[in-house]
Order: sequence, then C-alpha cells, then structure tokens
Amino acid sequence: MDTLSDLATPLTMGILYGGLYVVIALGLSLVFGVMNVINVAHGDFVTLGGYVAFVAVTSLGLDPILWLIAGIPLFFIMGIVIQRFLLYRAFKMSIDAALIIAFGISLIIQNASQLVWTPLSRSLMTPYSFKSFQIGEVYIPLVYLLDFIAAVIVMLVVHQFLKRTYLGQAITAASQDRQTAELMGINPAVVYQYAFGIAMALAAIAGVFLGLTFPFNPTSGVRFLIIAFGVIILGGLGSMVGTFIGGMFFGLSQALGGYFWGPTGQLLVPFLMVLIVLTIRPQGLFGR
Amino acid sequence: MSQEVLLRVNNIDVFYGSLQVLWDVSIEMKSGEMVAIAGANGAGKSTLLKTISGLMHPAKGSIEFAGMDITRMNAYDIAAQGICQVPEGRRLFPNMTVLQNLMIGSYSQKARAKREENLARVYELFPILKERQNQLAKTLSGGQQQMVAIGRGLMSNPKVMIIDEMSLGLSPLFVSDLFRVLHEIRARGITVLLVEQNVWRTLHEADSAYVLETGRIVMSGRAQDLCEEEEVRNAYFGT
Amino acid sequence: MGITTRRIVVLSLLGGFAVVMALLPIMGMPQTWMLYLIYFFVFLAAANMWNLLAGFSGLLALCPAAFIGLAGYTMTILTWLNIPFYVGILVGGVVAALFSILISGSVFRMKGVYFAIGTLVVPEILRLVFLRWRPVGGELSGGGAGYMVKGVSEVIMQETYWLGLAVAVASIILIGIILRSKFGLGLAAIRDNDTSAASSGIDVFRLKLYSFIIAAFVMGVAGAIFYSYQRYIEPNSAFNIRWLMIVLLATVIGGKGIEEGPFVGAIIVVILHFQLARYGEISLLIQGIILVVIMLAVPQGITGLIRDLRRSGSFRPG
Repeated sequence: MDTLSDLATPLTMGILYGGLYVVIALGLSLVFGVMNVINVAHGDFVTLGGYVAFVAVTSLGLDPILWLIAGIPLFFIMGIVIQRFLLYRAFKMSIDAALIIAFGISLIIQNASQLVWTPLSRSLMTPYSFKSFQIGEVYIPLVYLLDFIAAVIVMLVVHQFLKRTYLGQAITAASQDRQTAELMGINPAVVYQYAFGIAMALAAIAGVFLGLTFPFNPTSGVRFLIIAFGVIILGGLGSMVGTFIGGMFFGLSQALGGYFWGPTGQLLVPFLMVLIVLTIRPQGLFGR
Repeated sequence: MSQEVLLRVNNIDVFYGSLQVLWDVSIEMKSGEMVAIAGANGAGKSTLLKTISGLMHPAKGSIEFAGMDITRMNAYDIAAQGICQVPEGRRLFPNMTVLQNLMIGSYSQKARAKREENLARVYELFPILKERQNQLAKTLSGGQQQMVAIGRGLMSNPKVMIIDEMSLGLSPLFVSDLFRVLHEIRARGITVLLVEQNVWRTLHEADSAYVLETGRIVMSGRAQDLCEEEEVRNAYFGT
Repeated sequence: MGITTRRIVVLSLLGGFAVVMALLPIMGMPQTWMLYLIYFFVFLAAANMWNLLAGFSGLLALCPAAFIGLAGYTMTILTWLNIPFYVGILVGGVVAALFSILISGSVFRMKGVYFAIGTLVVPEILRLVFLRWRPVGGELSGGGAGYMVKGVSEVIMQETYWLGLAVAVASIILIGIILRSKFGLGLAAIRDNDTSAASSGIDVFRLKLYSFIIAAFVMGVAGAIFYSYQRYIEPNSAFNIRWLMIVLLATVIGGKGIEEGPFVGAIIVVILHFQLARYGEISLLIQGIILVVIMLAVPQGITGLIRDLRRSGSFRPG
C-alpha cells in the first residue's frame, strides 16, 4: 500500500504535464496530416518558443503566458514564411527532400540558440513557479496543472477551428484526400501554409509551458519531437481524444521512468515506448 | 436553350510522363447541354477529365471555358471558375459528415454567397441527405455516397458539372433515379458532362456524345444518331 | 568495349590514389594534413554507406550514430580487456552489424517517415543506456560513462591513418561492386517502385536488410577507427546527432544516389569542419544553412550538377 501512495505523486504529475505533449503533438500532427511530412524541426520550434518567451520574461519582465498574445502571431507569421520559402519548395521535389530541409532547419535553430542563449539550461521563472497545491496526500506543482489546462483549451480551440471555419474544413479535407480537395477549389499550397503557421503558433504555446515545466537547452528539441511523434502514433492522426490520451500516456511513462530509474529513465522509458509502439503498429495506429 | 459554346477543348495531346494517352482530342459543349463521353476502360476518358479540371495539363492544344483560356490554370482555380467534378469512386472525405462534405463544396468565394440557397436545393433533390446530414460520409451506402458527391458538386454553384462513372457499382434502378436528377439539374441551366463505360445507357440520356477509343475521338454527333450507327451498335451493344 | 576501358581507367585511378595516399605519411606529410585525411577517410566511408542506404536502397536511416558509437564503445571496452585495438575495430564493426540485425526486426516494419523517426530514436536510446551503464567498472575517466582507449598511447598516428585509408578505399570498392551486381540491380528496382519490384520476384525486405547490415558494419569500423584516433569516448558525443549531420551533409552536398557523390561531399565537409572549427558554434550553424541551401538550390548535389551540365553540353571538364 505504501508504494501505491508513493506512486500517486508521479502518476498525477505525469498525467498533468502530459498536457505539454498534447500541445506539441497537435502541431506536429497538423502538418503531418496535410503534407505527410514529419517536421523534424518541430521540437526545435518548441524550444525556440521557450527561448523567445525567456527573453520576454527576463528583459521585458512580462509574464510568459501573457507574452503569448504577441508570441502566437509572431510564430504564426514565421511559420508561413518558412513553409512558403523553404519547406514547400522541397516538398515539391520529394518527401525525402522536405525531411532533409526540416533537419537543416532543426540544426540551424539549435546552433543559433546555442550562440544567442549559450548551451546552459534555462527555465521560465515566474512568481508562481514554485507554488504547489495539495490533493489528499499529494503535492502537485501549480505549473503542471497549467500544462493540463493549456492542453484542454488548445484542443478545444483547434477542434472548433477545424470544424467550424472554411479554412479548418479545408485543412481537414486536404488531409483526407488532397486531390479531391483541389477539385473543390482548395489551393493546397495555401492550406499547407496555414497549417504550418498554426503548428508554429502551437509551438509558441508549447514553448512557454515547456519553459514553465522543465529546464530546457538548445538541444532539447529532439526529445520532444520523438515523444510527440509517439503521441501521434499512439493516439491516431486527426483524433483529438487519441492525441489527448497519447499525451497523458507519455507523461505517465516519463514520470514513472523517472520514479524508478532516475533522470535517465525519465527519457529512456518514453523513447522505448515509442519504439515499441512503432514496432507493434508500424504504420501508426491508424494505418495511413 | 442558348447555343453559345461554353466549354471547348481544342486538339489536345496529353502525356503521362513519356506515355501519350490522348491524341488530338477536341470536344465542345453548348450551354445547357448534356454531353456524354463514352468509351471502354483505358480509352483515356479519365485523363480527358483530369485535363479539363486542371489536374493534368496538355502538351499541345488548348481548353477554353466561357471565353477564357484555362489550359494552364490550376485545378483549384478552375473549380472556382465554375467547373465542378464529381470524381470516379465518389471520393468523399470519409471522416467528415455529410453536411461538412456538402459545405466544403462551397469553398470558393462565389459559391459561399449562395451557400444556403444551394444547400436547400440539394436537400430538395436528395431528401435523404438531410436526414443523414450529421452522419460520417464513410458510413453511407454507395448510392447515398454518390448523392453526396453530386450534391457537393452542386454546392459549388457550377456552370458545368462533370460526372465520372456515375453508375459504377450502382443498381440500374438507382441509376435511373440519378439520371432523373441530372435532367433536373440540367433544367436549371447547368451543363452536364457525363463520362461512362455504360455506353448504351449514356447515349440514350445525352444530347450529344463523343466516343473515345485508345486516346482518340473516333465518333461524335447527336447522341440519338450515334445510337443508330452500325459501328457503335456492333462495338458496344453487341447487336 | 567502352565500358571495360572506362572501368580499367577508373580502377587504376583509384589504385593510384590509394598507393599515393598510403605513401604520403612515409614521405613526411605534415601532421595536420594527416589529421585532415583521417577525418576525410572516416567521413567518406560513413557517407558512402549512408548513400547506400538513403541514396540506393530508399532507407532514410537516421541512426548512423548508433553504429558508429556502438563500434567505438566496443573497441574501447575491449582495450580494457587487453584486446588489441585493431582487433577491437573489427569486432566493433561486427557488433554494429549484429545490432543492425537486432533492430531491423523492429524498424524494418516501418515505412517512410515512420522508418526515419524509428531510426532517429535508436541512437538516443543508446545514449541514455550508456549514460547509465558502466560496462567496465572502477577505472573510469571523465564523467558519465566516458572511457579512455587503453594502451593506444604508443600507437602512432600513421597506423590510424592507414586503417582509415583502408576502410575508405574498401567502402568505395564495396559500393562499386554492389551497384554492378545483381544486388544493385534489385536495389535500383526497389528504388523505382517498391511494390512492383516485390511483384516481380525481388525480395525487397532481404535486399534492404543486406544494405542495412553492410552499412552498419562499415560505419562501425569507420567509427571505431575514429575513436581509436580520438582515444576517448563518451555517450553524448558517440551517439550524437552530429554524426548524422556529417554523413547527410557529405551525401547531399556531393549528390545523393550518385556513386561518387560522397567523395566530393566528404572533401567539402572536412574542409568546412576544420575551416569553421575556429568559429566555434557558428560552424554548425553555417553547416545547417549550407545543407538547406544546397538542398533547395542544387538538390542533385555537386556531382549531380556537373553530370547535368555535361549532359546538356554546356560544360566540358579538362
């Protein structure tokens, strides 16, 4: 019984900060859905979001969540530019080319961040960073709860956007049948641009909550990419509920890995889970 | 019925890579007509449609629509100009509802303005779709899916509606129903281009027709006259 | 006739190159040159193998660091067990090959992007495992699971140089043989179309697996040679994504899917590596930018560009 109550803390925390993975995975799956390209730079866009928020916090004294009012449009525009001038050109050549370009962008962001912000680990410090609350015997840091709330809000907003707007429906349609979408008058290049812009806006949000939750450094991106990919495969593309459950699952596996095997276990367990999930369902759970 | 030519395909050659599929194909459609393109499997019908709708482009020749050159236009721009295609195999968006599928048909700016009006018309033509509007497209029967596909085309407020292999896999009785609807659609001034393997049926429904054989137009004229042609009877009706 | 004479010319050029390269250290080549060339040989061998995977077998494998790091560790650990390092280098290659067989059961079930991400996870997992696991206890040097290569202090640089040269030349010959064999023909069919190759009786899975194992072995040997020169190995650098960047950059700059591509690419990557080294972190940033620019502007790589120009008749070398 003792172990069970010991486990209550990592279990709750894992589920809560799994929300962070939900937000990261949503951005990744949006682009993957319409273009069938895994944007291997997505994790780095998230850390970049963290760094930009870090600047807003340290030099402007802004609250990082408040900063998002400016950060979201900034990243959205950045996404449209990157898609239009870099990724889409490669995409027209081949999927391999797009993957290699994304890898190049990932290297550029990593090393530029290292130059600007040094390889040191950073985190976003706020007055509520060390606040925690209590459920029964369990103390939970407030920021973990914020991760969860952010995930719920982001999911609802994205879901409503995809369902209720013409643009959202065009993105949905293009991810189900690109050619027919074109016959409906949908310009795929425009859809890709907006999807990428939105993915970047989600990266800005994820970056802020990442910075509130974990310390991050310029090379942290890869591990968030891998976990987010695991979330997509486990949860299924285009399924919001699936993504949500996938995020919780990887949050849990990270928390339990950390509980039993220390800091290296924190990453080792979710990575192994990704490999296992991929092995069992090689085309992803939805078989695309 | 006005007699101006709405869509004109002038002597097009089309290739898949280095493989030529269409040779010097010309067709013309007058406003308000129902035109049929008939031919066996592999005759190049689908290629012709893809070229008209802009998914492929001809190596030689041109395509004019309402006095405008659309030869090099992208598919999405052509769709917005008022040529809609009901693709072979329906090609609905499987994980979207019936209503969402219909709505995506009205994506172009011009069509959005007339969205409610067109939706009411579609529901009038296919009342069952209204009942099923919140169901996912993939859960419908083949016939109902064809209704959604035609409805989705109508939602784009088209001048020309191209229908590829409408009757494929549907019961003859149901096909008759769909033809009744097509005549209604035409009565509203929409020009219809039918592409069918089912030559006999199509020729009886259409005003004029073209017969494609291995990438060339081998016969054309009034559909009724073609029905009488000995060659056509021998080749397609086996009499 | 033409093909045979051409082959003789190419082979004698290659032979001459190898002999000259082998003689250079004896003729008193400066140490820095030798250093550049060791890097070049290792990068060339690894890039040739990555070209075999990504360029010829349609396997966008993002895990070269796994093979390189694993072989490097094997060689290092064996020196602690008093096994000579040159034996360790070969054993390292074998371990890398065995490891490739082990993971193939899992990653070969994945297709396209799934395969790419699946293989990307592998070196990360190894890095974490080696951060925890200390195979040889006690006499650790440095933090984490960092090890000195034991007993190579008396090994002269020339030996590493010759080993590097050997693996580089071997990788060139290997690619040459593979592409001209039935195996290469099968790979070409797969590259054009997986499904139709399979339906025409080619065992797609087996051919890809052979490429994967061969590449793992040679990359492993090259990596082990590299670490026998470095004399120190630790998980964060051994399983670093930079290894991927090196092979990818060399292959893409030179020309992916072109036999002589990695040769040209590896020269440029080595020059970049040393020329930019003095600028520290900007170095990798610049390499990333070069990768993006080359991929967008000259997707066929330098050798591909030269070939295209020659074909269009506007360029005549010599």
